[in-house]
Amino acid sequence: MAQMTIAEALRQAIREEMQRDERVFCVGEDIGIEGGFGGAFTVTLGLSDEFGHERILDTPISETAIAGIAIGAAVAGMRPIADVQYGDFLFCMMDQLANQAAKLRYMSGGTLSVPMVMRAPVGATARGAQHAQSLEAFFTHIPGLKVVAPATAYDAKGLLKSAVRDDNPVLIFEHKLLYGSKGARSEKGALSPVGEVPDEEYLVPLGEGVIRRRGKNVTIVATLLMLYRALGAAETLSRQGIEAEVIDPRTLVPLDKELILGSVRKTGRLVVVEEDNLTNGWGAEIAAIVADEAFNWLDAPLKRVAAPDVPPPFAPVLEREYVPSEQKIVDAVLSIM
Amino acid sequence: MTVEIHAPPLSQTADTLVILEWLKQVGDPVNKGEVLFKVETDKAVLEVESPASGTLSAILADAGEEVKVRSVIGSIAEAGEAGGETSNPVIPSLGENTSSPGAAGEALPLERQNRLFASPRARQLAALKGVPLEALQGGGTGQGGLIVERDVSAYLEQLKTKPRITPLARRMAETTGVDLSKVTPARPGGAITKADIAASTNIGSEALESALAPTALRLTPTRKTIARRMQESHQLTAPVTYMSEVDATRLVKLRKRILGKLPDGAIRPTYTDFLIYLTCRALAGHPALNATFDEERLALYESVHLALAVDTERGLIVPVIREADRMGVEEIARMRSDLVSRALTGTLSPDELSGGTFTLSNLGALGIDHFTPLINPPQVAILGVGRIREAPLARKGKVRIRKLMGLALTCDHRVVDGGPAARFLQDLCSLVETPDLIWL
Repeated sequence: MAQMTIAEALRQAIREEMQRDERVFCVGEDIGIEGGFGGAFTVTLGLSDEFGHERILDTPISETAIAGIAIGAAVAGMRPIADVQYGDFLFCMMDQLANQAAKLRYMSGGTLSVPMVMRAPVGATARGAQHAQSLEAFFTHIPGLKVVAPATAYDAKGLLKSAVRDDNPVLIFEHKLLYGSKGARSEKGALSPVGEVPDEEYLVPLGEGVIRRRGKNVTIVATLLMLYRALGAAETLSRQGIEAEVIDPRTLVPLDKELILGSVRKTGRLVVVEEDNLTNGWGAEIAAIVADEAFNWLDAPLKRVAAPDVPPPFAPVLEREYVPSEQKIVDAVLSIM
Repeated sequence: MTVEIHAPPLSQTADTLVILEWLKQVGDPVNKGEVLFKVETDKAVLEVESPASGTLSAILADAGEEVKVRSVIGSIAEAGEAGGETSNPVIPSLGENTSSPGAAGEALPLERQNRLFASPRARQLAALKGVPLEALQGGGTGQGGLIVERDVSAYLEQLKTKPRITPLARRMAETTGVDLSKVTPARPGGAITKADIAASTNIGSEALESALAPTALRLTPTRKTIARRMQESHQLTAPVTYMSEVDATRLVKLRKRILGKLPDGAIRPTYTDFLIYLTCRALAGHPALNATFDEERLALYESVHLALAVDTERGLIVPVIREADRMGVEEIARMRSDLVSRALTGTLSPDELSGGTFTLSNLGALGIDHFTPLINPPQVAILGVGRIREAPLARKGKVRIRKLMGLALTCDHRVVDGGPAARFLQDLCSLVETPDLIWL
């Protein structure tokens, strides 16, 4: 079994899927260029040497071109993996994603399908307001899109492979501080979780969450970087005698709501942590589901820990205040105990 | 649609007013503009008109209640809803004071103001375990005093571990007002005892004891007399009780026949009246039982002055039917009825309460089968009559359902031996079983 970073696990997943199915190809900015980084975060590094520039396809700096190529190719029978340099640029593609990719299958009565994967890095990492947003919630609101947020190397590989094989458009949100990118692309302050990834073939199905830590006093739901902050908070809380159960949904659409409901029935308390702005986030949706379907099991108000409703600030001091910290999660839990 | 009725802000200087009177009841039809209730402000008494037409559907503040202005004090169900008429949609008026803080923080309906705050989870557990949440009010440990699951659990735990307490200790605690939850038993794990209560209060143990004393009643003169005479009877006589069970079927039939022939308004003879009559007949052959015995002197009487035990609120009263042996059943009934009713009202004269020569006590109406009556000194015999009940009776190898009655005769063995007593009872039983024998 190999030890891999998330960037390496994603690269291995792409490699295996391209070897398995010749319809699979990558498209993006600077993903295969000679002397480049292999995309902004080294995920596709070296793949153009293995598969050639026709399957690791570099585009001009045009997000609408990437989306157009990917969606069109998918409709035509290919299985593209589109690389978005920064998730923030998804807004350039909004019509193509929301009006075309998400709806073609529905509008064609199932005649067309869009088996496309789009990978997009998220998270505030000292790059300012336009290279820092967490965009998962936007896409959970569009019927027809699947939304994946892997937080470990094992999940990153297994979920990407499932996404490639899915006949619907899947957006995979990857956190810049979790890639474990090396060399010139190593990130200051990155967590870079390295995890065991089996040598043999495996898939992680879309729509199955996982309990990262067991506890009986409060349920904390978090993805990506926030998952690690939640686990850190759980450690602190444990020293105060509060055992938090930490759930990683892994995919936000489809959502493993039974896992969350089951945990809340046990603990009676829920805190949802997301890096995105507070208002109308996916955390609000989970809180609403729990209020609706597990009301009688609740012993305290539902809490969300999220970024304030302002753009991600550039100043490092402000960014640290903006992104939910372990302490904010601890405080939120203590406020309902 | 339901329209809320608000306490109107009529006073410039007070934020409460008193509801004086509702001019409509719940369920009454009301018209918009009609006077609905009267209020008293700090300045004046004012009439308030109905804000809508329909039916008064709720009154939340009764006459006499003081309420906050703008609070909801009732509601009107608007009419015409089911009529299916098309009407313009009602655009709710925003009123004039929308920007004032008072309007924004409109008072909660009264029934919500004293709401008990418990988490859904706590409510669920409480409902499951039958815990009254009211018992936890004010004791919630959740945010803002919210009653949460652990509070219900703690309550249940405390119920489980509540120490046992002896009945006497509980009574002492109730009498002295000692808070049991603050008393710990001297013996760990043991029950709270009288000593624990005494130790937890500065009331002296003597005072505690007297607090526990039974209610002292002053004896009435009647009770004093009964007590003295019953004690005399018990100490001075040598009572023996002889018991028989007698087939009263014919007596029952006879009485029924007689009752059927009585004119309207006549006093209806009871079994007691028949038994007095038959007892007098039987005593005629056994004068030794129609007697008084006072120390050395035994007196036999020619007439039967029959004393009848009467149960009254004041206690046992025993009026005497003089020369009962000379009366027919109808006359006995009249005498008995008069004496009993005056015994109940306490208007008998001393004469009517003395001079008896034989006593009859009938507890049959109270469901008694047999009892051992105490002699009424200086008399020497008393007859105790039980109830008449249906029972199987074996006679001549056959079992039949008959109406049986218990008769118990107590005689003073100092002057009446077993033989004479038994013979009297035997004769009496014969008369009860075959009332026709009185013709002999």
